[in-house]
Parts: sequence; structure tokens; C-alpha cells
Amino acid sequence: MAVDTEERPTATASKTDATAQQERRFQRYRIRTGMFAWMMHRLTGVGLVVYLIIHIWGLTALTDPETFNALIAKYHSPIYKVGEFALLVAVAYHAMNGLRIVLIDFLGWSPKQKKLFWTLGAVTAVIILVGGWPSLYALGEWAFGPGSMPTLFL
Amino acid sequence: MAASQTNALNWFLHRITGTFLIFFLITHFWVQHYDHQAASVTHEVVTEKGEMPDYPEEAEEGVEARMGSSAEATPYQVVMQRLADPVYAVLWKGFNILFLVVALHHGFYGLNNVMTDYIRNPMGRLVARALSWTVALGLLILGLYSVITAGW
Repeated sequence: MAVDTEERPTATASKTDATAQQERRFQRYRIRTGMFAWMMHRLTGVGLVVYLIIHIWGLTALTDPETFNALIAKYHSPIYKVGEFALLVAVAYHAMNGLRIVLIDFLGWSPKQKKLFWTLGAVTAVIILVGGWPSLYALGEWAFGPGSMPTLFL
Repeated sequence: MAASQTNALNWFLHRITGTFLIFFLITHFWVQHYDHQAASVTHEVVTEKGEMPDYPEEAEEGVEARMGSSAEATPYQVVMQRLADPVYAVLWKGFNILFLVVALHHGFYGLNNVMTDYIRNPMGRLVARALSWTVALGLLILGLYSVITAGW
């Protein structure tokens, strides 16, 4: 991310003391595309670790039929359907942005990086729409009644 | 010196595990969530407490073929029906053990990177590091137990 060389705001010359220093610190961290991508990568990453813990913990239910059935039935409740979709969004974003980082790290920085960003963004959108459709469909059928949702990709 | 080498190795490993996770996740989703012989009908919301999700015909036929015609396609039986096939079971267990190790390493190394950025105190960092890897180890043991004993 260090090669992001868009216009950096010039420090205000009149203020020379600690306030100016403080202000510059914040100005340096202006949120542009790369910074936003990095922040989201962190947020989704931490979220996915939390999910990983819950997931491994939950799957110990595999040792008991009753517990496992109850767990899967619970995963089919509306709130978990919303969570399921949010999880897919986080996974798809983290995976595709991670792929972008790996490509940049191993193949080198390229002037076409904006193109790479938006291409992978489009791929992410497709993954979320196609992969997440069953969850959205389920929520729609539940909220608006049976037969109210089109059966795309199903 | 040794520490910086470990860091470089971990940095490199993080990229490798991340790349592998993309392939693991595609397989995981394909096999567990979108395959009609295993997936509970994912596009179904179950609202009543204790009510079970329905399964596609392929899954119900699979359960009956393996567990007898009186067997019901409950979530547990659908998983067991596949694990009853020894070839599938070995592949499934091998895959999931690898998946578990790689996901835990990737997740907890990443978490440690984030924590190191915000925890300034060296002692605090040490505690956070020790605690997080202890949790990871505990999850590894739990996960291995679930994967190995599933279908016994």
C-alpha cells in the first residue's frame, strides 16, 4: 500500500506546534480506496477468526445425533440466514482482496492495480450474488410468503 | 536474527495458506453446502422450534440406500450416509484436517498481526500472543477430535 502516490495534503505551514503535528497525523491517514480495502480486510479478518472459533466449537456436535440435528435446525432460522449471507460477504471480500495482496506481493506492483482492484471487485460481487442467492431466497420466501421469490441459480 | 527469520517465514506462509484457503473454501462450499446429496435445502427457513429442514431427493435416496428404507433424512443421517463410504470418509477426514490446520494458522497469525499493531506494551503483546495461540491449540484439538471421530 506504500506506493499509493495520490496527492498528499500539504501540512499547514502556520501551525508548527503539537497541534499541527497531530493534524498531519490524521491527514496522512485519509481514507482512499487502498486504505478502505485494508480496513475492510482487517475487519472481515477479525470477524472470520471469531466465526472460525464458533464454527469449530459448534461442530463438536458431530459426535451426537440429537445435538447435531438441533444445531443444523438452528442454522435454518431467519437470523442465522442473515448471518450466513453476511458470512459469505465477509469470506468473498477477504478471499478476493487477499488474492489481490498475494498477486501484488509476488508479482510486483503494477500501474494496472486499479484495474485489478475493480476486476476482483466484480468477481466478488458475482460470488456474493450467486453463492448468496439461496440465503436471500430463503429470507424472501419467509418474509414475503411462499413463491414470492424467483428461483434463480437454484 | 532467528526471530526475524521466523517472521519472514510466517509472512510468507500467511500468503501460501491464504491461497490454499481459497481452494479449500471452494471445495468445502461445493461439497457441504451446494451439493444436492448433502446440503439441507439451504433455501429454506425453519421457524418452529425443533422443526427439521428438508433435504433434496438425492440426499433422501442416499440415506435410505445406506441406512435402510426406514431411515429418516435428518441432518445427522445425511452426513453419516456419506461418511459410511470408506473412500469418501478417508478423503473427507484428510481434507478437513488439512483445512483445519491451515485455517487456524492463517486466522491466528492474522489476528496476532492485528493485535501487535494495537498493543504497544511488550508484556501485553506477549500475553496476547500466548493466549491466542493457546486458544488455537485448543481449537485444533477439538477440531481433530470432531473430524477423526465423525462417523464412528
